[in-house]
Amino acid sequence: MMSLATQGMVLFADAHPMVEKITHLHAEIVLFIATVVVMVLGLSHNAGMRRLCGGVSVVALIVAGVLGAMTPDMAHMPMPGMSGFLKVVIAAVGVLLVLLIEGTVDRAYENTVRKTGVFDGLRSTRGEFYAFMLFSLTGLMLTTGADDLIWLFLALELTSLPTYVMVSISTSRARGQEAGVKYFFLGAMGAAMFLYGFALLYGASGTTVLFAPAGEVSIASVFASNGLGAMGMLGLVMAIIGVSFKIAAVPMHFYTADVYEGAASSVSAFLAFVPKLAGFAALILLLSTVGWTHGELHDSLPDAVRIVLWVMAAMTMTVGNVLAILQKSVKRMLAYSSIAHSGYMLVGLIAGPGNGGLLAGNGLAAVLFYMLCYGFMNLGAFGVLASLERAGMGGESEEAETFADIRGLCATNPLLGWTMVLCALSLLGFPPLLGFFGKLFLFTSAISAGEILLVVVMGINSAIAAFYYLRLVIASFIDEPTAESRAFGVTAFGSRVAASAISAASVVVLVLAASWLMGKTGDAVAPSPTQQVDLTAVDGIHATIAPGGAEE
Amino acid sequence: MPTTLALELIDYLPITILVMMAATFAIANLVLTMIIGPSRTGRTKESTYESGMNPIGTARKRFNVRFYIIAMTFLLFDVEIVFLYPWAATFTNTSTGSENASIYLARVLFFMATTVIAYIYGYRKGVFKFD
Repeated sequence: MMSLATQGMVLFADAHPMVEKITHLHAEIVLFIATVVVMVLGLSHNAGMRRLCGGVSVVALIVAGVLGAMTPDMAHMPMPGMSGFLKVVIAAVGVLLVLLIEGTVDRAYENTVRKTGVFDGLRSTRGEFYAFMLFSLTGLMLTTGADDLIWLFLALELTSLPTYVMVSISTSRARGQEAGVKYFFLGAMGAAMFLYGFALLYGASGTTVLFAPAGEVSIASVFASNGLGAMGMLGLVMAIIGVSFKIAAVPMHFYTADVYEGAASSVSAFLAFVPKLAGFAALILLLSTVGWTHGELHDSLPDAVRIVLWVMAAMTMTVGNVLAILQKSVKRMLAYSSIAHSGYMLVGLIAGPGNGGLLAGNGLAAVLFYMLCYGFMNLGAFGVLASLERAGMGGESEEAETFADIRGLCATNPLLGWTMVLCALSLLGFPPLLGFFGKLFLFTSAISAGEILLVVVMGINSAIAAFYYLRLVIASFIDEPTAESRAFGVTAFGSRVAASAISAASVVVLVLAASWLMGKTGDAVAPSPTQQVDLTAVDGIHATIAPGGAEE
Repeated sequence: MPTTLALELIDYLPITILVMMAATFAIANLVLTMIIGPSRTGRTKESTYESGMNPIGTARKRFNVRFYIIAMTFLLFDVEIVFLYPWAATFTNTSTGSENASIYLARVLFFMATTVIAYIYGYRKGVFKFD
């Protein structure tokens, strides 16, 4: 009797932390339930019920956002407040994405159903589309709170796998299918790479736990006492390069333009935000295991990792911006510009959390703040493209895509025109818009970390970026409308226009709250008190980080 | 200081030996078959099914896409059972009425619930409809 009980205790010793973990996951649980509901609702024979999918998603996201804001801090994480903060950001941008995505997949089939009166579940993809979107957002929320390698991997894949399908089914054109296949295979390669990196990290440390309460074994504690060693270093670098697929950083950026162009504009907006945020959250968590010291300057990251990130940041900015200039399609241009923005944010990662005292020197807060700005301004720019359409071949409507398509938009449709102008200027970092403060924050953090050369590269790149963003402004604001651009009318889906307009408004209005938001990002990445004690030995690490890792 | 699990490369020696054994086994089999195996050829030997069946028609025939859907649904329930089996085998180790037992039961019930959801989804989708 007794032995049975003890055996049970040993077998299920992990049960209690598991229950405790669930208290941090209320937002994800709500989203998961909504996913299930939406999946079944989308197959209803009643058109009204099918139309509820969007509403249910919006409500679930709002509830998840509120629950996310109430998430208790995870004391054993290096940045206890990050997960809760990011969940609110995800929910806010997620609501706009749901509004934008309305009518993307089911328009043609719904018309057929209305004509024939027959609904066949096998032909409808509405429920799946919303469900996949919510699945992806759930994965994104899970990523932000990952404290275990296996959790991190599963969460990243939960974020990515639905997006492959979303790209494929978002349009009926062959290009969408091609984009989906491309995205899937390259995504699988990226996943394989960081999974291999994770395996090596496990091999080097003997545990899959990234962060644990003080006194328990975790990858962070093993690295803090034994040093990285060759295997740990290789694993970390491979994980970083693999995850860079998600943020579309050089050398894993090749898919970006084709995939964003092939997918519907609303899905491109989704791709530019969701996997990118997942990638940055994962990078912040992975890099935290090797100890940003919260007190030392930029040399807190191991040299090899810092050099990899440095080269990646410089290349990503430059490649993205230079290739963006050459594009005729606005969608391709925005795709390359999203690569460039990843480069800017990598600078914040290199700067690290700074010396703790000054918020302006906190690179991680800058990354989170920039991600928030980027979420809104990017959504607005793609939203304008998604809101404009003309009758194309075979009765299917075509979305706006090239610079010629949006000529004179401010004259023909002032609301969308000004949305485009404001979002383009904000993406460029034009003062007094939100993007300017995002970029400023990145600059100050990089300067206080002493990364002067990187700041120069970033400055030059911002100048290059002005060239193509101003082309966007000129096309919609200064150029006269042509017969070709007049052929485009506003879409029947008002929620798309609303999503774009709200984004543009946020770009202006959030400026008033910019310093408050920056303070929030600062709180989000504030170090855990226990972690700080743990890392006092970090100065010693760099002495013992010699090949092989010295034993204590 | 936290306790650490420092692993050295020497700990991977068993895996290395296993990998080498696997490679040796595969290569040895291929090489030995080439060297000592009899090599005969002929019309029957080179046909698609050398066991004696006559291949009829083309392999690239069209068949109903439903087979894929049925196969996928089958996989879902199949995998579900694979996970249930070890659960059932170890659940008896928990003491009756303990907190661990209820947590363990709750986990598997959640897991089963996902199957039910998949079933409802498949039903609404019309997977089980044959007409």
